[in-house]
Amino acid sequence: MSASRRSLHPWLLSRWVIVPAVLLMLVFGWNVNVAMNATGEVRGQVVDATGQPVPNATVQLFERSFVVNTEKQRATTGPDGRFRFEGNASHAVQLQAEAPGIGKSERRTLRLLFRAQDADLPEPLVLNP
Amino acid sequence: MQRGFPWARHAVLVVVSALMLLPFYWVLKTAITDENIYAYPPRLLPQDPHPYNFVDVWYLIPFPRYLLNSIIVSVLAVVGNVVLNAMAAYALTQNFRAKKLVILLLLSCMLIPFQATIIPAYLITARIGLLNTYLGLALPLISTIVCIFIYKSAFEAVPRSLVEAARMDGLSEWRIIAHVLLPLSRPAIATNVILAFIWSWNSFMWPLIITRDADMQTLPLGLARFLSYMEDTTGALYAFVCLVLAPGILVFLMAQSAFIRGLTHGATKG
Amino acid sequence: MILCFLLPSLAIFLMYRVIPLGWNAVLSFQSWSPMRPARWVGFEHYEEMLFYDDIFWTALWNTLIWISAAPLAIVLALGIALLVNSDLRGASVYRTIVFLSYPLMTVAVGIIWRWMYDERGGFINWALRSAGIIDKPLGFLQSFDLAMPSVILTDIWQVIGFYMIILLTGLQQIPQHLYEAARVDGVPRHAVFLHITLPMLRPALFLCAVIGLLNSFTSFDLVYVMTNGGPGHATELLVTYIYKLGFGQTKFDYAAAVTVVQFLLLLVLTFLANRLAGGNAGAVEKE
Repeated sequence: MSASRRSLHPWLLSRWVIVPAVLLMLVFGWNVNVAMNATGEVRGQVVDATGQPVPNATVQLFERSFVVNTEKQRATTGPDGRFRFEGNASHAVQLQAEAPGIGKSERRTLRLLFRAQDADLPEPLVLNP
Repeated sequence: MQRGFPWARHAVLVVVSALMLLPFYWVLKTAITDENIYAYPPRLLPQDPHPYNFVDVWYLIPFPRYLLNSIIVSVLAVVGNVVLNAMAAYALTQNFRAKKLVILLLLSCMLIPFQATIIPAYLITARIGLLNTYLGLALPLISTIVCIFIYKSAFEAVPRSLVEAARMDGLSEWRIIAHVLLPLSRPAIATNVILAFIWSWNSFMWPLIITRDADMQTLPLGLARFLSYMEDTTGALYAFVCLVLAPGILVFLMAQSAFIRGLTHGATKG
Repeated sequence: MILCFLLPSLAIFLMYRVIPLGWNAVLSFQSWSPMRPARWVGFEHYEEMLFYDDIFWTALWNTLIWISAAPLAIVLALGIALLVNSDLRGASVYRTIVFLSYPLMTVAVGIIWRWMYDERGGFINWALRSAGIIDKPLGFLQSFDLAMPSVILTDIWQVIGFYMIILLTGLQQIPQHLYEAARVDGVPRHAVFLHITLPMLRPALFLCAVIGLLNSFTSFDLVYVMTNGGPGHATELLVTYIYKLGFGQTKFDYAAAVTVVQFLLLLVLTFLANRLAGGNAGAVEKE
């Protein structure tokens, strides 16, 4: 037993084992993380210029393909001004909200770490007349 | 030689080192920022660093595929060099007729740079149907003359009596190479591995000529192609450069002294 | 029996070195393309190349310029090697940093330097403008006059670490007792350098020169990525011209003729460098 330990240890401690092992673990961990968080939910809130939530606003989700942005989905905000998209498959989307009579928001780019990452829009979309 | 001012030397060397590292920094900075490249002056420090350029480029190109292709070609070349060169070098340590002729042939072959034979080499590869295959990519690099001579001098340093004793014991030629000579020629093996790895990993002109499909492209090829259709307007290109350089730098730093020894050894023999 | 061990390697060399070299020579006297049957045309390609092809002469001239930049790099490398070759603290760190760029992928190095030279975001333009040397950004790689020096500078940047390592190995092989004897005799430093260091370094310097020569043939990657021979043909080297002729215009026969000239040039220059080193050796021994 002690013989096997002696021959095993220097081999296991070689940087040619440790570095690839650490890299493999990182890749594996990252893939687990991706698999657990890749349902494609994008959540956020729409507010008006005074900061009040806007219900019934239409939010468009654009997917950034190579050069152009194409509209993929629409959603409507709930009573608390919150909206939710499901099944987003992109890693870079743009969001824009509009409500009749209140105005339109700027188009906000949301970049994700991987495709279909679940994400919350950090700042609400602000409607301006 | 220990006269003079150490701080003056340090100052000069620090400046030199900075000049050598600056291009790496400049590219890394661009890869992790989203700056407007039309803005003047460019920022010296990265502002709001973020990893999204890497995400973009990851989905724009089949990076794992390029990496896999590069690794397959390099492994073929490294294994080929370690095995075939050892065989050839062993043969050269034995006595046979025409040995002088073979050595002369090898030495004169060394004067022919591969770039000078690229057109017929391409035509030959096309004729035997190896265009666009891993074997075709690796074949010209699979055995190299410099490395044969490196092995040869290592084998010659092994005491003659050891080989003779092994032969007396009835060991076959293969076993003599594998169990007697190679274990005593570790540095030569390392040099073979390193030179074959560098040459195949960085090889660009040959893959450029013989690959047809995007699926068979190696890392340098993928990079050059990305450059040709992206031009250098995006951080994604520089993120790609960082991704391509990272494995090479990692391997270099892990085996630095072996790299330096191997490359100088290869050059002095060559 | 023993020849079987040699066979695989020999086959590779025959297939990729010897036969191509011969075929190349044959091809250069033929009119041939994948579509047409071969026809002997004698020296027609050579005539066209030498008397009518301006691009060939540009490429040849550029290749010679490229080669002649090697001594500059070697001198710089010698300076760094002398600085690093001492028991200076951290010498190995400097050595690593200077050497780092050499084993890296040349394609990536080319792209890095494109960015360094960039008109808008490049460091070099920024530095020159900040220092007040120029007021308008320069398009280094787009300029007929500046493109070639810029690419050569990149090449020097990449290869200088390798020269340094070779010279360093040479320096460390100089017997220490020579320096001690010189010190006892009170020989001044510059004389020590001229009469001990340089002569003893001759093999290493010769090696660097040969690598510099070969480098002009293998610098395809850098030129291809940085300028692709442009603007116009300002940075065209023989090797890039051969590539364009063969694989851009499928003029394999003509490209083969250019290859023959390139190969002869390399042989002659290597021979000259060898003679030069040998000639120097005689001179030193006489002293």
